[in-house]
Amino acid sequence: MSVGEVDLLVSVPTHNSAQTVGETVQRIRMGLLKYFPRERAVILNADAGSKDGTREVIAAAASNDLQRSANLYALRTLPCISTVYGDSPETNVALRTVLAAADLLHAKACAVVSPDSTSITPDWIERLLRPVYRENFDLVTPVYRRHKFDGLLLRNLIYPMTRALYAKRVREPYALEFAFSERFCGHLLENQIWDHESRGLAAEMRMTITAMAGGFRLYQTFLGTKPHVDRTGADLVAALRQTVGTLFWSLEANFQYWNATGVPESVPSCGAEYDLTTEPIRVNRKRLYQLFNSGVAELEPVLRSILSPQTLAEVQSIAKLAEDDFRYPHELWVRTAYEFASSYHRSVINRDHIIQALAPLYRGKVYTFLLENRDASGPEVEADVEDLCLTFERLKPYLLDVWNARE
Amino acid sequence: MEMVLNHTSDQHPWFQESRSSRDNPRRDWYVWNDTDTRYRGVRIIFLDTETSNWARDPVSKSYYWHRFFSHQPDLNYDNPAVHEEMWSVMQFWLEMGVDGFRLDAVPYLVEREGTSCENLPETHAVLKDFRKRLDQHFPGRMLLAEANQWPADLRPYFGEGDEFHMAFHFPVMPRMFMSVKLEDRKPIMDILQQTPNIPDPCQWCLFLRNHDELTLEMVTDIERDYMYDTYAGDKAMRLNLGIRRRLAPLLDNDRRRVELMNGMLMSLPGTPIIYYGDEIGMGDNIHLGDRNGVRTPMQWDGGWNAGFSKADPENLYSPLILDPVYGYPAVNVYSQGRSGHSLLAWMKRLMATRKSTQVFGRGSIEFLHPANHRVLAYVRQFKNETVLVVNNLSSSAQAVELDLRRYKGNILVEMFGRNIFPRIGDLPYLLTMGPYQFFWFRLRRI
Repeated sequence: MSVGEVDLLVSVPTHNSAQTVGETVQRIRMGLLKYFPRERAVILNADAGSKDGTREVIAAAASNDLQRSANLYALRTLPCISTVYGDSPETNVALRTVLAAADLLHAKACAVVSPDSTSITPDWIERLLRPVYRENFDLVTPVYRRHKFDGLLLRNLIYPMTRALYAKRVREPYALEFAFSERFCGHLLENQIWDHESRGLAAEMRMTITAMAGGFRLYQTFLGTKPHVDRTGADLVAALRQTVGTLFWSLEANFQYWNATGVPESVPSCGAEYDLTTEPIRVNRKRLYQLFNSGVAELEPVLRSILSPQTLAEVQSIAKLAEDDFRYPHELWVRTAYEFASSYHRSVINRDHIIQALAPLYRGKVYTFLLENRDASGPEVEADVEDLCLTFERLKPYLLDVWNARE
Repeated sequence: MEMVLNHTSDQHPWFQESRSSRDNPRRDWYVWNDTDTRYRGVRIIFLDTETSNWARDPVSKSYYWHRFFSHQPDLNYDNPAVHEEMWSVMQFWLEMGVDGFRLDAVPYLVEREGTSCENLPETHAVLKDFRKRLDQHFPGRMLLAEANQWPADLRPYFGEGDEFHMAFHFPVMPRMFMSVKLEDRKPIMDILQQTPNIPDPCQWCLFLRNHDELTLEMVTDIERDYMYDTYAGDKAMRLNLGIRRRLAPLLDNDRRRVELMNGMLMSLPGTPIIYYGDEIGMGDNIHLGDRNGVRTPMQWDGGWNAGFSKADPENLYSPLILDPVYGYPAVNVYSQGRSGHSLLAWMKRLMATRKSTQVFGRGSIEFLHPANHRVLAYVRQFKNETVLVVNNLSSSAQAVELDLRRYKGNILVEMFGRNIFPRIGDLPYLLTMGPYQFFWFRLRRI
């Protein structure tokens, strides 16, 4: 790579992102010129063999004359490089490519930005890179202003469980925008965390967990409103496999760490606190309820091998409730999650089947969340999430019990 | 010969007469006013010492206009008598045999209300008239403009080949320093790509340092801050909008960087001008006032007053450089003349190599755009001669791939050692370069 040593690297992993990536690259350039005019910087596009002209769009965006349009002045060359890492998107490989490039170029701070982040502003670049570059933090994760019904998996499982076990209040452990230090990059490469075993897991989330368990300095930065993405047709099992699978998978490697953690500590942050918007969006609750009920019935033999008899009985009992009376209580949900984690650890059945079996139960929990928060204000929704977090923390000894018992 | 058209000293007899009375025949030889309110908004050049372009004269109890120091009142070119008298001065020296003039501070000759009082058409008319008289009465002599302006504003000083023969290219100079510090070709390429074409018989003059501060007027604010922080950490090094330092101290006395900068100076389009003493790497004295720190006596040898004067050292107008690194016992022409590897000897070889071809003086320039932005590469071409110049602006070794397909079949002959490099083929031409190294290659089809 003829760029040579750099201070800052901003990466945009892409796959057929031609529609949005041009604007994203422009904003990145503006951010670098505005906030880091003296630093040696490079924009790196790690592309998964796009066929829609993504790389050409990036090249055009990188050569646009920003100076006149945005009243910015570039002191030095800001190279923008595209590299193709494969012919299908794979976050592990994309991230490994970024890490290798950052290591090769001795980048002191490196940020990753999603090409689909249409709400990106130049400030993002400063908010992501500054804590690493100027304040020696190792990993910067984002905090967004979200719709109250956006990020449901995050609010109902990923955030509360990660927070309870790793004892760090990291709001978005699975983020598409983040920044990391040279030191942390070296650690990730040295420990080869992107090995064969971790294929299919969320690389970004592995990074966050590695940083939390490894004693690296964490920081959260506010990146504004996260546009709501309609995931009606999205594959829930695939999402669970990536995120919950990563979380469960990490518990084995980090047992010594989370076994000893205490009360979760807050992470230094800047910008607005976590905030919610409440504009109405359409959610099909009824279907969630139906899928929960049919899942509990159809998967009973599988659930029997995963859950304790008491938990299974309680789950089956709430499945009998009428639609309007249905509630999946926090405590039952936490026990469910912990027993799934323990079963995953023990590999009581194929691990992938365990993750798949969680899907209907998760739908039941989400149905409850939507029902209970139908008319709730932002702070009320937050209070509900906080209550769930505290339940996860309170029941952590239960996880240790089932973990050790099954050992 | 240096000639100051714009102003005189306030001790000059003309000014003494002018201030003596409002009825004096020389009263209108300078720009007088009862108040200091005319030409509001015109920038002040010597910001460190002057607060206004007007100074009150206690003798005539009125204000006179000065674009530089208050002891340097501006002449009034709206007065035809001044115009004629200044031509007489030029004529005097031309008859003495001078080949040309470096005309100082030429953008400021004429003032008009509501303008910046710089680069005005009336100023160009004065200069064109001098040029016309020069061509008529002294053919073959030349005029060189000292006008610290952006290239586009400088272009009119060439007229249609009927004003100046040459002009200093001010903005490229700080950008050469910037490029080497940033290890990035962008600043140099940006400014040269903004530089307009000039009439055929005209020429730019390039320089690294001169008797003034390293001016930062023709850079952006962000560039100026960067230059101050990286080249003038000590506030005593700063003056007005510039840095009062010589070449060698600016480059940390790093021989490789001094050579690279001179290599670029000699190979970019224009006539190179070397400031006295920089050819031996003389130092400066930032503790002297104004720009006197870069105007210390030439260090000819290690003897009495560095061979510059037989006067008692206490009587020298300017003190000698005495510090252990740059002092005259260590840095002088005589000692460097005894070593074939001294900077002076190297500079002589550099100049001889430059002179071995007309391409550097008259040739076109085409920049190459290799992916490695730490390398500045260009092709100079004149008639049937082609020279490839490659400069590594960085402090570390670099590899660079050059797209030379249009010169396929040529071999590269390194101009200093006359060594032959591999023939150009279809593939990108790969060069590896040491820190701050530069190559000049003559392209030959054999």
